[in-house]
Amino acid sequence: MSRPTSPRIRDRWRTWRGALGLLLVIVVVAMLMVTVSTPRPGGYLDAEGTGPGGAHALAALLADQGVRVEQVRTVQEAREIATPDSLVVLTRPEYLMGEDLLDRISELPGDLLLIGPMDLVLDELAPGVSEGDYDPARSREPTCGLREAVQAGSARMGGTAYQVTGPDARCYEGSLIRYRPNGRTTTIVGSGDFMTNGRLIEDGNAALAVNLVGAHPRVTWFAPRLPQGDQPTATLEELVPDQVGWLVWSLIVAVGLIAIAQGRRLGPVVTEKLPVVVRAAETAEGRGRLYRARRARDRAGHALRAATLDRIVPRLGLTPASTPDAIVAAIAVRIGQDAGQIRHALYGPAPADDTQLVALARHLDTLERQVRDS
Amino acid sequence: MALTRRAGLIALVGAVLVVLAPRPGLVFALLLGLLAVLIGVDLALAGSVRALRFQRQGETALRLGDSIEVTLLVENPGARRVRGRLRDAWAPSVRAAPREQPVDVRPGRRQRIVSRLSPLRRGDHQAVTVTVRALGPLGIAARQGSHHVPWSIRVLPPFLSRRHLPSRLARLRELDGRHPALVRGQGTEFDSLREYVVGDDVRSIDWRATARRHDVVVRTWRPERDRRVLIVLDTGRTSAGRVGVDPTSGDPTGWPRLDWSMDAALLLAALAAKAGDRVDFLAHDRTVRAWVSGASRTEMLPSVVNAMAPLEAELVEADAPAMVAAVLTRARRRCLVVLLTDLNAAALEEGLLPVLPRLSARHQVLVAAVADPRVAELAAGRDSAERVYDAAAAEKLRGERRRITALLRRHGVEVVDALPEDAAPALADAYLALKAAGRL
Repeated sequence: MSRPTSPRIRDRWRTWRGALGLLLVIVVVAMLMVTVSTPRPGGYLDAEGTGPGGAHALAALLADQGVRVEQVRTVQEAREIATPDSLVVLTRPEYLMGEDLLDRISELPGDLLLIGPMDLVLDELAPGVSEGDYDPARSREPTCGLREAVQAGSARMGGTAYQVTGPDARCYEGSLIRYRPNGRTTTIVGSGDFMTNGRLIEDGNAALAVNLVGAHPRVTWFAPRLPQGDQPTATLEELVPDQVGWLVWSLIVAVGLIAIAQGRRLGPVVTEKLPVVVRAAETAEGRGRLYRARRARDRAGHALRAATLDRIVPRLGLTPASTPDAIVAAIAVRIGQDAGQIRHALYGPAPADDTQLVALARHLDTLERQVRDS
Repeated sequence: MALTRRAGLIALVGAVLVVLAPRPGLVFALLLGLLAVLIGVDLALAGSVRALRFQRQGETALRLGDSIEVTLLVENPGARRVRGRLRDAWAPSVRAAPREQPVDVRPGRRQRIVSRLSPLRRGDHQAVTVTVRALGPLGIAARQGSHHVPWSIRVLPPFLSRRHLPSRLARLRELDGRHPALVRGQGTEFDSLREYVVGDDVRSIDWRATARRHDVVVRTWRPERDRRVLIVLDTGRTSAGRVGVDPTSGDPTGWPRLDWSMDAALLLAALAAKAGDRVDFLAHDRTVRAWVSGASRTEMLPSVVNAMAPLEAELVEADAPAMVAAVLTRARRRCLVVLLTDLNAAALEEGLLPVLPRLSARHQVLVAAVADPRVAELAAGRDSAERVYDAAAAEKLRGERRRITALLRRHGVEVVDALPEDAAPALADAYLALKAAGRL
């Protein structure tokens, strides 16, 4: 007699397995495509960055030529691997703040390549050099005697132009400077654009970059991701105890379970075909609103008069076909009133305004009552 | 499957432990594992809902406005106890109460679950589903499943006008042979001969019988019997309009004209059956919706009520020529055709009036309609100009109604136009008047 309607688990599995399989395939494919094609994260001039602003192409070029490029994020790491025959490349000098930090960098052995340093950095790492005007990067000729620059030829240089007292070499209108302040070769470029993945193939950019960086067997590529300060400050995440994170997870689980418990209905929602609800008086009310909207006093007055006549005439012993004169005369005799007034009420002109319409309705009521009571 | 709030509470307690523990990650993992194990064990130990067997008992018919009890027998053939909650779902307008009930059936036992149904709407209503949630012994998780347990109830028209029946039956008896009339007139037929008693009208003496019996014998007369009454219910769009106040639920949006018409039709049918007339019933809009014919006098009222129960107003224009044709093919002998419709000037002028002569040529036609008290209320409005505009619109409608009534009467049709509560007695009175006048 009764029969179960809920599907069994295996029926459900059979229904959903196709959709689930498809979903799985889509997710796997999407993940594969994302891993293969997306540029690896990395900021400007990051040696692992494969985006247009990264420097992975240069690092790969150098690696091919047997140069060991090691990327570091902090000064400590840099100190651990720097050797006297290595070159330290400072990609983001704007992230290096505090004299202590810069002192520790200046203590690093080996040569230096600074990319777009500001005065603060120049004071510590390249004494005697000062910032000049800013001129956007564009293709420029070397116009100097520096071997690396002459071999490379024109390159996309620019950015900040630097001034130096007693220059060893000042190329590309001041945007490349090489000198030896205290026995260590220091190279300063105004902009690192020519080293980026996006620009490396233009002009002599690649040659210049390889010439400048690849002269040393080891390169310490110092590319900080965050501003490096003097004293390490604990972040908010580090200050919060472990328990809080796990508490949030357990609360999510608890709230989820309660939501599932509360949300499960006991049986399906029952629907029902309902009948239309139409008030029969809607036509009358609608017609009334139309009269009102158009201020149709003539039609309203006519309807009221016709209704009164319909009710009065049989009481007078007349037929609806009787003439107005006969009806008015009969009423006048019956209730003893002036025939002119009665005729005006029953057959007069349409009311001129709403007040007159109300007055007419009341007058007709009175007339009807008088005929009925007489 | 379903969970209870206990699962969430356990997770909340676990959250407190996570805060206090020195190794929160481990505690969290343990909590997840514990929850999974508890839910799994509880589900495995809960009674099987799928194996349950159901049977229904109880009434299948009731009048609108009443309520009935329907019993559901739950049998548990499984090996584990089924404990939890049960919902016997019906359509919302059936108002099954209570909505959910506790269920607790041991293996091999049965439980009786009673729901009270108080339907708000006439017609047939089917049971939808029976859903059971069987909790596990820990009360953390539950198995849930639904069963289809067929049952149908029929909600009959309430026949509220039956309170008018005793007074109309008394009027009928005045006409009837229990007060035999000695005056022959229209609408009477020969009843019997009896001995003359002082006071009888000498004109009713049957001289031929007197000569045979050596005694003065008078003829008595009684109202004619075994006439035919055909009640035709219009289920077209005009019968969907709601008028008055719903007498069963007090709903101020009103009751469809169809229901008021049914009420009047039932009083007329009951009265006519008592008066010894044969009653047939036809419901029609564009096609025949219901047809009851040839039922015996005792069976007639129940079968008409039963035929009316599932009728709903269809939102189509009634097809009057088809209706007249249906009547003419079904009623070959002269009868009283009572047409329950609305006096809607546009619908009647285009539909019924052109074909009315065919009907009234062979049958006595009576048109009964339910007037809208709201229109009368509107027509009395005099407070403001807005009210007077409404009053004029209402008067316009009533004027059309009067005009169509006059037109129908000119065709020799009787017209009953009464407010909802008065429609049934007014129709009964019109029938009695016709009967007294011998026009059936």
